[in-house]
Amino acid sequence: MGQFTQFAINGLMSGAIYALIAVGIVSVYKATKVVNFAHGYLIMFGAYFYFTFSVIVPGQSWAPDWLASWQPAWLLEMREGLPMFSPMGAVLDWVQNVPRILLGIAGALVCNAIVGRIIERTLMRPLMGQSIFAMIMVTVGLISIMSGAASIIWTADADFVPHIAPNAPIRFELFGTMIFLFGADLVNMIVALLIFAGIVLMVRYTKSGVAIRATAEDQSTAYSMGISVPKVFSRAWVLASTTGAIAGAILATRNGISPSLGLFGFSVLAIVLMGGLDSYIGVFLAAMAVGVMEALTQWRMGGDWAEIVPYVAVLLILLIRPHGLFGSKEVERI
Amino acid sequence: MINGNLKASYAADERVLNNTYKQTFVYGMMLALALFAGFANDYMILIACKMGILLIAVVGVNILTGYTGLVSLGHGAFVAIGAYSVTMLENGLTGIVPESLTIFVVLPLAVAITAVVGVFVGLPSLRVKGLYLAVATLAANFIVIFLIEQDAFAPWTGGVVGINTHDANILGWVLDTNREMFVLIAVVAFVSLLAAQNLIRTRVGRAFIAIRDRDYSAEILGISLLRYKLTSFALSAAYCGLAGAMFAYFYSRILPEQFELDLSLELVAALIVGGMGRTMGPVFGVMIIVMMPEVIKVFAAYFTGGDAASARYIAPLQEIAFGLLLVFFLLKEPLGINHITDRILRAANRWPFARG
Repeated sequence: MGQFTQFAINGLMSGAIYALIAVGIVSVYKATKVVNFAHGYLIMFGAYFYFTFSVIVPGQSWAPDWLASWQPAWLLEMREGLPMFSPMGAVLDWVQNVPRILLGIAGALVCNAIVGRIIERTLMRPLMGQSIFAMIMVTVGLISIMSGAASIIWTADADFVPHIAPNAPIRFELFGTMIFLFGADLVNMIVALLIFAGIVLMVRYTKSGVAIRATAEDQSTAYSMGISVPKVFSRAWVLASTTGAIAGAILATRNGISPSLGLFGFSVLAIVLMGGLDSYIGVFLAAMAVGVMEALTQWRMGGDWAEIVPYVAVLLILLIRPHGLFGSKEVERI
Repeated sequence: MINGNLKASYAADERVLNNTYKQTFVYGMMLALALFAGFANDYMILIACKMGILLIAVVGVNILTGYTGLVSLGHGAFVAIGAYSVTMLENGLTGIVPESLTIFVVLPLAVAITAVVGVFVGLPSLRVKGLYLAVATLAANFIVIFLIEQDAFAPWTGGVVGINTHDANILGWVLDTNREMFVLIAVVAFVSLLAAQNLIRTRVGRAFIAIRDRDYSAEILGISLLRYKLTSFALSAAYCGLAGAMFAYFYSRILPEQFELDLSLELVAALIVGGMGRTMGPVFGVMIIVMMPEVIKVFAAYFTGGDAASARYIAPLQEIAFGLLLVFFLLKEPLGINHITDRILRAANRWPFARG
């Protein structure tokens, strides 16, 4: 057991982030029937925007000092006499970063929403009603455009980005083994799960969620029932790009910022197909399963084998269940 | 102007090049290529070699995507398998087969290996289509490259750092310059293009087209989906394996990263830009896709005066241009350049009457 529990928990934590990324792909697919191959690159943009607003902007000479490092009197007072590397110290370090973290997340959300909106208006809307192949390939073209644009815009060497939660180490005992976690990872997981749950509830119960589901069911009927289908499209894209921004911020703190963040999109795409393109539950389970499998592979076979786990898994699942674990079967008529 | 393409017999109708325009065009191109091999400068030869290698692979993708209607984002893996099989076989057969004959053993074997792998990668195509197949092939591409990079296979594949390749040796003629390689690549590319043109007029090719138009209807007509979808995968993989073999002979070293997703996307992009399901589509597409980065490089050097600080913008600009090209063609000219040339030729044929 020992190590197993530790690795399984690590797996669940990365699975939650996979789920957060996957929710963007599923939402866009449900509303517009487009599978976004470039979602990973939206996440990369989110990560870079977070970096811009939490590191570059506070570092400018015109930015107020409290933005880069907030040090009110009570904080300094509390820091006095704290031992090195204490959990309290980690929390206080985080408090000092709160302004720039908030600015970073807000900036990433707004900018990514704008990017998503632009993509929807210029590339996706003209493709309404085109073949699946054309839509896939447009998002493939988008991959090149976005990765090229990112390397032109962000020339600075990627730097350390602040964690979005206090990164205190946590130790506790579970099933007789010591489990060691970082606070930030735990908070990341909770944030990811809350957002995922929020979106599922939104799609189920709110008016705009019902509009998304109606559009997914039948576009022209939804249109004639008074639902503005283009508005549903742009909402879905904004939803995807904002969740992508948060996922990007989280991934930036976990893995650092690099253009290879975009490749995450492909493994998450594999996860989405495993779970079934239009099923939030299936995608959630698949994300968690792949997260755990990756962690266990890492434990048993070494780190680099972990990266092909989603691809092997999707190939096997597609051979057994062509529409994923919980995906609804497409009915074809001749 | 309008003049008839009259055919007096079925045999004339069934020929590969079924009218005089096509025949003239093919012989003209042969002559042009021969002149090109003799007179072009080294830079043009280099570009033409790149085009030729890519062209063979794109013709393969055209058979699968253009004619059979199965989307693949994993053909880079087949090129990799072709390139690596040639190199590994050449290494393995040194001393067993005389050097001047190795290519005649190695090339067919490498193509056959790639075709077999193609059948395995094609297995999901029997159950899934469209997007699901695209992701399945993409997954296969990641897995193949990952396996090549593994340390366990490094004694044979060279691992992440790549492996040195051999020069082609045809009956003692060692093709160690680009110009000599161009002759081989041009001949192979020309023959494979003609073979593809021939394929679509045969029973197999017509079965592919029927599957593309509606696979269930094709099945009802008595076309075995199992057999023809896998044949299509095998054929297109074989073409890509051939392209990979040329790749290995042309470059002095191959690296696994050259065959990653970027190559697969480039192949599909070239096909879309050129025109899917048309013989000349891959030719136009490959020309644009290979020329575009070169043109950008030349323009950038012209506008910035070759200053080193701006050189780092060239690669991202090429990437953006590639994406824009793909998006532009999908949105504005989904049938590709071939459709533009079709319109021009039709207008010329009908002149001075109807135009367009």
